[in-house]
Amino acid sequence: MDIKKTALAGTLESSDIQITLSKGDNGVNIDLDSSVEELYGDQIRKVITDTLAAYGIKNANVKAVDKGALDCVVKARTMAAAQRALETTDQPDWEVF
Amino acid sequence: MEERLRRTMMFVPGNNAGMVKDAGIYGADSIMFDLEDSVSMSEKDAARMLVYEALQTQDYGDSELVVRVNGIDTPYFKNDVYAMVKAGIEVVRLPKVESAQMMLDLVKVVEEAEKKFDRKPGSTHVMAAIESAKGVLNAPEIAASTDRMIGLALSAEDYTTDMKTHRYPDGAELEFARNMILHAARAAGIAAFDTVFTNMNDIEGFQRETEHIHELGFDGKSLVNPRQIDWVNKVYEPTKKEIENALDVEAAIEEAHQKGSGVISMNGQMVDRPVVLRAQRVIRLAKASNLINEEGEYIEK
Amino acid sequence: MEIREINIHIKRNFNKWQKFLKKTGITTFSPKETDQVERTFVWEDDGEIMATGSIAGNVLKYIAVCSKVKGHGETFNQLVSKLVNEAATMGRFHLFVFTKPQYVQSFGYVGFHVLAQVEDGAILEAGTPDVHDYIKNLPHFADQDNSRVAGVVMNANPFTNGHRYLVEQASRENDHVYVFVVSQEASLFTFAERFKLVKEGCRDLANVTVVPGDSYMVSYTTFPAYFLKDNQDVAHFQAALDAQLFKQQVAGPLNITRRYVGSEPFSKTTDIYNQELTRVLPPDVEVKIIERASNANDDVISATKVRAAIANDELAVVQKYVPQSTLSFVQNNWSDLRARIKEGSLE
Repeated sequence: MDIKKTALAGTLESSDIQITLSKGDNGVNIDLDSSVEELYGDQIRKVITDTLAAYGIKNANVKAVDKGALDCVVKARTMAAAQRALETTDQPDWEVF
Repeated sequence: MEERLRRTMMFVPGNNAGMVKDAGIYGADSIMFDLEDSVSMSEKDAARMLVYEALQTQDYGDSELVVRVNGIDTPYFKNDVYAMVKAGIEVVRLPKVESAQMMLDLVKVVEEAEKKFDRKPGSTHVMAAIESAKGVLNAPEIAASTDRMIGLALSAEDYTTDMKTHRYPDGAELEFARNMILHAARAAGIAAFDTVFTNMNDIEGFQRETEHIHELGFDGKSLVNPRQIDWVNKVYEPTKKEIENALDVEAAIEEAHQKGSGVISMNGQMVDRPVVLRAQRVIRLAKASNLINEEGEYIEK
Repeated sequence: MEIREINIHIKRNFNKWQKFLKKTGITTFSPKETDQVERTFVWEDDGEIMATGSIAGNVLKYIAVCSKVKGHGETFNQLVSKLVNEAATMGRFHLFVFTKPQYVQSFGYVGFHVLAQVEDGAILEAGTPDVHDYIKNLPHFADQDNSRVAGVVMNANPFTNGHRYLVEQASRENDHVYVFVVSQEASLFTFAERFKLVKEGCRDLANVTVVPGDSYMVSYTTFPAYFLKDNQDVAHFQAALDAQLFKQQVAGPLNITRRYVGSEPFSKTTDIYNQELTRVLPPDVEVKIIERASNANDDVISATKVRAAIANDELAVVQKYVPQSTLSFVQNNWSDLRARIKEGSLE
């Protein structure tokens, strides 16, 4: 699936993560800004990549500003950003839920 | 339906990651994740996903898990219900309920969702928030609308607006609604929850209101701040005398049980069913407040 | 605390908002700064403002949190978060903030990166596409790192023989020349028109590449400066910030080691600008100030004179200052340009 428009989800409050998805043409590129980058950077990237893959998004530029989000929050915010970017917010993809 | 303690129902804004994550640590009897008023229109989708994912992965202990979905006439309603049923939520709370039909409409969508997502039919419970004059007057039919009902809650903010008044410290403006809702709930055998108290600076007012609704007979109160949980529990704590009496009743039940007798007697008098029920409730409350030990003895504090 | 959106263009709201901001040390409320504010959010406790922030185009402005607020940092994050989310719903994903140096770190925690910083303040950006995307998407050349690369920034409103003279000099003395055309729409000629005329006017210069300045070479005088004290020198601040931005974000990655500017005999602001460039850019970037080109009798060529001539309906005068490409365009759009001048206060 192709990203139709740039979309943002999540907040900059503690325990959250802000995800911005925009069009890309060279796989999933993640620019992660996190104070726990060294410890959890790879895990956060994996959750984002897996979640995008579940929506069939293979090309995207991702900006992520992490404020200590748990995996479930990373996943939820990526889902919200993905559905917004695909313009399918009104039709949740129940397979991904 | 299993009777459980519902002294405290803590509101958690559904799009607040930190609060959703930590909701389990305060020991609320019920946690109510909110997808409605605390979430702005542009964040409805995100809150739904956040609560869904949290329900899949977070440990909320023994708390009963409730979600307040968006109103039946909003474009978010159906997706909210579907997502929450898929997540295995225990109770769906519908806001602004004015008739039994609205609960039946909710149940229809819940049924669809249970089927679609392979949830056990009937496993999702529902409750109604009463927020208008019409809702209060129809409380009895709403309370009895479906087997899935677990409770009625009064929501005073919208109700007082509908009544052309506002909140007052003495609560006189809510007296009729409280009694109506409480009676409807009791007649239907379900729980009754009082409204929230939002002024965090007025601790005395909160105390006074909680004592009042405890006296009326409410199961408990909706809360906006975890600090209020202890205050409510304190009010609901049974007295030493109540506990000792309840323990006596329990012993009498046990004795009758061993004798194989159908009649429970205590101090030469027959013990009625209401007395038994009250004793069971007191013991549940005493256990929740850590007032009796494992041997079933009162703990002096 | 409750979040509420207010309209500061209503007097009553403006006064309350301004009173709060003044307490937090923000004292500049010139119409130039406040007119652009589109949306303002306030956090209130019992009707009293405890925090506020505004959106003005792609800029977050007038951000302040009362020092009495408990969990000051968390409220700040909430505030910025709210503004970023609201901007996103308006389709704006690339945002800027201008602030005092002491708040740079706080904005750093919420995903903003410093583009340039000087003593009195800093400019930061967040979101996408950012300055790295901008640089990446510009044309690059073989062996750029070992070539002599120059940069020229111009508004070119419109492109004149003077601009041409400046670019020619740079073209002769360097391997490659980037001509950055200011993208901001605040001129008589639109960006698309200005860009096209610069391109046409430089077409024969093989080593010259004309590119848009995008968000990074705006007309520096429009940099917000509301957080400065009234008595601070706004013009120097804005020019220094612009020079820093060019040096660090643009010149560095593109290996630009020379910047060409025209001498400024008339305008004080532009003179200050040249002074700041000379102060900030070296030694990394050499500043070449080129004497303004003139016609006979010391008639200095300038775009201002061209616009005045259009206003005065004097095509013959325009002809004295511009190359054929610009002249044709002006001629073909004569009545439209004159109508624009009449309509607005476009400079």
